[in-house]
Amino acid sequence: MSYSSLPEDVLEHVFSFVQSDKDRNVISLVCKSWYEIERWCRRRIFVGNCYAVSPRMAIRRFPEVRSVELKGKPHFADFNLVPEGWGGYVYPWIRAMAGGYPWLEELKLKRMVVTDESLELIAKSLKNFKVLVLSSCEGFSTHGLAAIAADCKNLKELDLWESDVEDPSGNWLSKFPDTCTSLVSLNIACLGSEVSFSALERLVVRCPNLRTLRLNRAVPLEKLAHLLRQAPQLVELGTGTYSADLRPDIFSNLAGAFSGCKELKSLSGFWDVVPAYLPAVYSVCSGLTTLNLSYATIQSPDLIKLVSQCPKLQCLWVLDYIEDSGLEALAATCKDLRELRVFPSEPFGDEPNVSLTEQGLVLVSEGCPKLESVLYFCRRMSNDALVTIAKNRPSMIRFRLCIIDPQTPDYLTLEPLDVGFGAIVQHCKDLRRLSLSGLLTDRVFEYIGTYAKKLEMLSVAFAGESDLGLHHVLSGCDSLRKLEIMDCPFGDKALLANAAKLETMRSLWMSSCSVSFEACKLLGQKMPRLNVEVIDESGPPDSRPELPVKKLYIYRTVTGRRIDMPGFVWNVGEDSALRLS
Amino acid sequence: MIHMMMELQLGLALPSIATTHHVRGFEFDLNNSYVYEPKDSDPSSWNINSYFGSSASVPGKCSTTNSSNGNKKRSCDDAFDYEQVRAVPPRTLPLFNWNSRYPDDEDDPRDLDNNSSFGSNKTVDDEDGVHVVGWPPIKNWRKKLCHQQHHIPGGRVKNNQAVVANNGSACGGRQSNSMYVKVKMEGVAIARKIDLTLYDSFETLTNTLIGMFGLWLEDSYDYQLTYQDREGDWLIAKDVPWRCV
Repeated sequence: MSYSSLPEDVLEHVFSFVQSDKDRNVISLVCKSWYEIERWCRRRIFVGNCYAVSPRMAIRRFPEVRSVELKGKPHFADFNLVPEGWGGYVYPWIRAMAGGYPWLEELKLKRMVVTDESLELIAKSLKNFKVLVLSSCEGFSTHGLAAIAADCKNLKELDLWESDVEDPSGNWLSKFPDTCTSLVSLNIACLGSEVSFSALERLVVRCPNLRTLRLNRAVPLEKLAHLLRQAPQLVELGTGTYSADLRPDIFSNLAGAFSGCKELKSLSGFWDVVPAYLPAVYSVCSGLTTLNLSYATIQSPDLIKLVSQCPKLQCLWVLDYIEDSGLEALAATCKDLRELRVFPSEPFGDEPNVSLTEQGLVLVSEGCPKLESVLYFCRRMSNDALVTIAKNRPSMIRFRLCIIDPQTPDYLTLEPLDVGFGAIVQHCKDLRRLSLSGLLTDRVFEYIGTYAKKLEMLSVAFAGESDLGLHHVLSGCDSLRKLEIMDCPFGDKALLANAAKLETMRSLWMSSCSVSFEACKLLGQKMPRLNVEVIDESGPPDSRPELPVKKLYIYRTVTGRRIDMPGFVWNVGEDSALRLS
Repeated sequence: MIHMMMELQLGLALPSIATTHHVRGFEFDLNNSYVYEPKDSDPSSWNINSYFGSSASVPGKCSTTNSSNGNKKRSCDDAFDYEQVRAVPPRTLPLFNWNSRYPDDEDDPRDLDNNSSFGSNKTVDDEDGVHVVGWPPIKNWRKKLCHQQHHIPGGRVKNNQAVVANNGSACGGRQSNSMYVKVKMEGVAIARKIDLTLYDSFETLTNTLIGMFGLWLEDSYDYQLTYQDREGDWLIAKDVPWRCV
C-alpha cells in the first residue's frame, strides 16, 4: 500500500505527532492531498509579524486552529525607538477570530496594542478560551481583564508578562466567579496598583491546580506566608514586595510557609529586598531551577549566600550587584546553569558603580558546562575574554553582550572587538542570536557572514565602517530572519545589492543609518512582497531627500501595504506619492 | 583628509602603553609622534560618547581617577588640551574607527556636512542625563527601577527632588496612589526605594529603613533621617509633622 492511498484519518493521526511549524510546512508541500489534510488538522499557528499576513488569509488556510501566537512591534520598540501609535493592533485579528475560530483556546501576543474592547470581544465570543498571554503589550486596562475574568469560564492561564496596564479603580480580581476553579497560572507582576487581597486569596484557595502565581509589588510580605500556605503545590512563585518591619514572628511564619512548598522550582519578584528576610527562602533553594533577582537591589554577599544554595539552578536573572565575586560563586555552585542575564543597576552612570567586569562572564563560561544563553551588561571587555568564552562554550546559542558605553574598545589593547566576536561566531556553530557592542569595524561582520550560518537574529549598534559590513551579513548569514541596526554607517549599496535576501527574512530595522530615501523607494518599487516603511515624525521624508532616512522598517508580507499606518509612517512602494489615509 | 586624520590622532592623548596603533593602511608609532606625559590613571579607552553631538561627556566632566575598573575618563591634568580637540572638526569622526580603507570615498557617510549617523539619533535630556534614544537597550520599567534613590545624610546627591511622586511599581503600571522615594544611607553604596504611603509615622518609616539597610534597631540611634526640599536644602525630617510629608 503506497503512502498516497493511506486513508485521510490515518494521515491526520500521523500528522498530529508533528508539532513543529517547519515540519508541518514541509508536509504541506509534499502533494495536494497532504496539503489539504495538513491544513485542516493544524491546531497551532505562529505569526511572527502580524502584518505579514492578514487574519482572513490565516483563517482561510487553517480553519481549525486552537492556538494563535502573534507578534506586533519590532523588537527595538522595547527601547523607545518606535513612536506611539505605530501600529501592532490586535483588534482586527480578534474580530476575525471571533467569527473564524469560535473554539480558539489560546492567544499569545507580544508587543501588540490590545484594547479593552478586544478583551471584551474575546470574553464574549470565544467560549472555550483558556490561555491568554500578553507579553509586553499595552493599550488595555483592568476593565478588559475584568471581562476576561468574568466570562471565560474555563480560564487556565492569565499571564501579563511585562505589559503596561492602565488601572482605573475596579476590583477586577473579584470578577472571577466562585465557580472558577480552573486557574493553573496567574501572572500579575506588572500591575501597578493593589489588587484585593481577599479576592486573590479566595481565588488561590479554590484553584487546586494553580501552579504559577506571580504577584505584583503591592502585595505585602506579611501576607505572602498566608497565601503560600493556601497553595503549597505552587511550582512557580513571584513574591510581592520583599520588605517588612524586622520581626521574628513574620520571619518564622514566612520561613515556615516556604518550607511547606515542596514543589517550588522558580522564584521571582523580590522588590525592595530586606536582606534579613532572604533566609526565609533557603528551604526551597535546593530545588530551584529558575531565579529572577533582577529587581533585587541587594549586594553581592547576600546574593552569593542565596545562589550558593541553589545547585540545581538553570536560569538566573540578576542585577550587576552580583559582581565578579558573585559570578565566581555561581560558577562554582551551579553546574547546571543554562541561562544567565546580568542587568545594569546604573546604566546611565558615567562610572562603574560595581565591580562587575568581563571576568565574571569568563568565570561562568568556565564553570558552567551547559551555559547556552547569555545577556550581559558590563562596562569593559577584551578580545581575550571573548575568545576564552567562545572556546569554553562552543554550545552557546544566544549571546547578547552590551558594553554600556558605545564603541568601547578592548580595554587591554584598545583594539576593536572584531576578533573576540569573531571567535564567538566561529566556535559557537549553533549560535542563533547575537547582539554586538563595543568598538567594531567591518571585520566583525566579515566574520559573522563567514561563520554564523545558523544565526537567526542579529542586533547591532554603533558598529561598522561601511556598506561592506552590512553586505557581509546579508550575503553570508544563511539563516538570518531578523536584523536590527541602529547608528551604523550602512547605506544604500548593501541594501540594494541584497534586496532578494530581505524576502527570506522576517524583518529588517535600520535607524540612524545612512540609507537614502531614493534607495527606499527603489527597494519598495522593485520588491512588491516587501513593505518598506519609513518612520519620520518630522514630516514627509521625500521633502528632504538629501537626508538619510531616520528609521526604516522593512518586512516581508503577502498582504501589501498595511492600512493602519499613522501619519509618521510612509510606505514607499510604487505609489509612494499617494498615501492611503 | 589623511593629513587631517593624522593630525587628529596626534592631538589626542593616547594611553601610556607604548603601542603602535595599527590603522588600516597606516602605521605610526605614537611615541614618535609627539611627546606625551602619561599620568597614573589608566585611560584605557576614551569615552566616545563625546562624538554623539550630545553633551553627555563634556570635557568639564572628566575626572581624575586611578580606579582599577578602567575608568574611561582622562585625567584633566594631562598635558594635552582636551578642550582644543573638542573644538577641532570633524567632531563626528570617531576615534579608532578610521574609514581609511576608503580614504577618498566620497560616500563616507560621516562627512562633515552630512547628517552624520552618529548625530541624527535623537539625544534625550531627562532625569537620566543626556543620552541617545534606544541606548543602552533596557526596557522602560527597568530604567525606572534604577531611579529609585533618595537621600539620607551624606553621600552623593543623585536626584534633586526629595520626593519622586511616581507611579512606582516595576513594570509600568499607571496607578499613582503610591509615593515612592529613593533612600540612600551614608556609607552604603546601594540605595533603596520605599513607598511613603505605606507608613503612618516617622518611627515606622525609620524602622523600616533601618531594616532595609540591614541594621539593628539599637544602631538606628546613630542615624538621622533627612530630606531635601524643593529648594535643595537638607532638613531634618522629624522637624515637620508627619501629615505634611
